Amino acid sequence: MNLGNLKSEFLKSVHTLSNIWKYSDSQPTEITLAAALVFLAPIATYLEISFMPFFELFLISGGLYQISCVARGKLDCRVRAAFITFSLYFTSLIMYIINIGLPTPSHYGWVLLVLSSFSSLKRLKSEQLHRNG
Amino acid sequence: MDNITQIIITLATVLGSAGIWKFFEARLKVKAEEKKTELENNDGVQYRDDLKARVMRLEDLLVESNEKVLALTAEVHALRTEVLFLTKENERLRNIR
Repeated sequence: MNLGNLKSEFLKSVHTLSNIWKYSDSQPTEITLAAALVFLAPIATYLEISFMPFFELFLISGGLYQISCVARGKLDCRVRAAFITFSLYFTSLIMYIINIGLPTPSHYGWVLLVLSSFSSLKRLKSEQLHRNG
Repeated sequence: MDNITQIIITLATVLGSAGIWKFFEARLKVKAEEKKTELENNDGVQYRDDLKARVMRLEDLLVESNEKVLALTAEVHALRTEVLFLTKENERLRNIR
């Protein structure tokens, strides 16, 4: 295999990955993010920051709302829920930064969750725009 | 962290993320609109639309000409019967003479 072929194969793979990232179905990501919001986020914020009843209640409600929207399969609802999820992850990240910062590399997982929820929201919005013409 | 602080921080970040999202949403809408316009002005798409219109026009013409053929066939049958009758009548009158 020569260098030209290798380059074109590489570019094709990058293009395929980019298309998958932009347009693939995001339900599994939504369910994972929602489950993490219901179970992981409240426990983590409680143990590492403090007991914040209002905020932790928001986290659990937001996660459950996202799961119910995915289960109902309504796109408008999913977009709304994805925005709430993104907001809540963003808020969690800010809470961490304000209170304890991001002291260990594993704490950067919150940044990953914010980015993942944002990309999921973007994907859903693109789908909504595409469907509504 | 007391309750008031957590509520204020939550509200502020939710509003902040709403602002960020509004910005990206507007960008996505503009991009989608651009893509749509590009698709509408695309030569291939215009050619396809033109072909569709031509096929529809030809289908209409086919239906119309089928109806005309049927009407003409009926008319030819009627005329043929009339000619047959007149030929027979002519023959009968000729025999009388």
